[in-house]
Amino acid sequence: MALLRTREPETLYSAASCSVSLTAVSKQYGVKEAIFPLNLSIDAGERVAFLGPSGGGKTTLLRLLSGQLETSTGTVCLCDRDLSTMPTGRQVSQLVGMIHQQFDLIPNLSALQNTLAGQLGEWSLIKSLVSLVWPMNRDIGLSALTRVGVEGIAYQRAGSLSGGEQQRVAIARLLVQDPQVILADEPVSSLDPARAGEVLQLLVGIAEEAGKTLIASMHSVELAREHFSRLIGLRNGAVIFDLPSHEVTEDMLHDLYNLQGLRSET
Amino acid sequence: MTSTTSRDSAQKPRLLESRRVLTLILLAAFVGSLLNLDWTTGFIHSGGIDAMGEFAKALFTLDLSADTLTSAISASWTTVAYAVAGLTLALLIGIPLGAIGSGVLTRSPWLRVTSGGGTRFSLAFFRSIHELVWAWLFVAAIGLSPMAAVLALAIPYGGILGRIYAELLQDVPDAPLRSLRSTGASEWRVFWYGRLPMALPDMLSYTFYRLECGIRSAAIMSFVGLGGLGHEIRISLDDLAYQQVWTYLLFLIGLVVIVDVWSTMVRRRLSE
Repeated sequence: MALLRTREPETLYSAASCSVSLTAVSKQYGVKEAIFPLNLSIDAGERVAFLGPSGGGKTTLLRLLSGQLETSTGTVCLCDRDLSTMPTGRQVSQLVGMIHQQFDLIPNLSALQNTLAGQLGEWSLIKSLVSLVWPMNRDIGLSALTRVGVEGIAYQRAGSLSGGEQQRVAIARLLVQDPQVILADEPVSSLDPARAGEVLQLLVGIAEEAGKTLIASMHSVELAREHFSRLIGLRNGAVIFDLPSHEVTEDMLHDLYNLQGLRSET
Repeated sequence: MTSTTSRDSAQKPRLLESRRVLTLILLAAFVGSLLNLDWTTGFIHSGGIDAMGEFAKALFTLDLSADTLTSAISASWTTVAYAVAGLTLALLIGIPLGAIGSGVLTRSPWLRVTSGGGTRFSLAFFRSIHELVWAWLFVAAIGLSPMAAVLALAIPYGGILGRIYAELLQDVPDAPLRSLRSTGASEWRVFWYGRLPMALPDMLSYTFYRLECGIRSAAIMSFVGLGGLGHEIRISLDDLAYQQVWTYLLFLIGLVVIVDVWSTMVRRRLSE
């Protein structure tokens, strides 16, 4: 984030427009079709939510976008660069960052160190090791924690924090990593409803403020409608609808989650 | 497939299932060994019962003379020094070899198999030879010096620690590691920021257990003449001075208890 540090100008990527496009992307696990061939393009700065029943392909699609999974066919482009041709984890990490339902912090490290881990891709090994004992770039970490509202617990073990606090620390780590595209896999599903609204508000607010593209899979239809401008319904690996939030009707949602339909198709 | 077959066999117990066969063989070996014992001359030699009685009685008439106590304290110190020095050296062997042997430092499958396999083989070699045997070897090679005791302890313990560390480092939950990788961290950084911190409490607690074992081993090893509690116990046994033997044994028990209490305290602090 521009608020947190000044990045050396990257000649390859520009922060201003980082769009995402999928061209004829499909994914098979063995003979099972997880994602049927689909095209999708998401503009820079857009906030998109994937909806649909479990097993519908939401998580698979996110993992394809993050480069954790390879596509069976087709290409994923981030910022007009083909994800599969990017050689190192570090380059990918500058483009795309991900947060998960289970926060995935290292429980025995402090909140501050978990936050600073967002820079591991850029630090030398020596600097990373020194930072384990004596946190480096402490001010960056602390300002990220302040931005997400948990600066008070910077030196506590991540494992001892509440779910809401842990997810905020995970967001702070993402701030420090500073990717162009933020992927969120059911980011608030393991939080209670009140906490879920707050944390999602924070995530969306940060993405908006820095002009990041935000793509999330969402369990709660209400939260998705409230916070995202575009909703994509996925079922059995295919796009059922792809519309601006306000154009999605109850009938469409009903069809998306309809059990009868699910059973006949599977 | 395996789960269904085992479920099937649970429903229809078969007489010749491999587990049953093994149980039967072990049972037969046990019964056979009982039959082979020479029951007529008894388990212990004629004076054995008396000696046992005397040994038990000696517990209540401990030798607490200043002489014995000073030699017990100095022997305890030697034993602890051997154990700590041996374990420290074992850590220097176990941590790096365990980390390499776990195969988690590289994403290349080829490197993982060669370096991991090679390391695990040497770890297995180190620990398959008992510390007492190593002690004999080193005493033969470098004489009755403390170095022999420390090396004899360090090598098999390094092998054991390395193997356990490798397993603990592999068994760390994967999801937090994956999210570290997604920040662009290499496997080395993932190791230092994810695997090691998450495996550390278990590694530490196992190391303490090994220190306890190390103290016992150091005591036993000094039977070969290397000084320490075992050495004193052996001399007193040869003199039939059971009161002294008990004093030394109680010091040994005391050491083990101290390590146990210490490790409990450290673990409690870690889990807070």
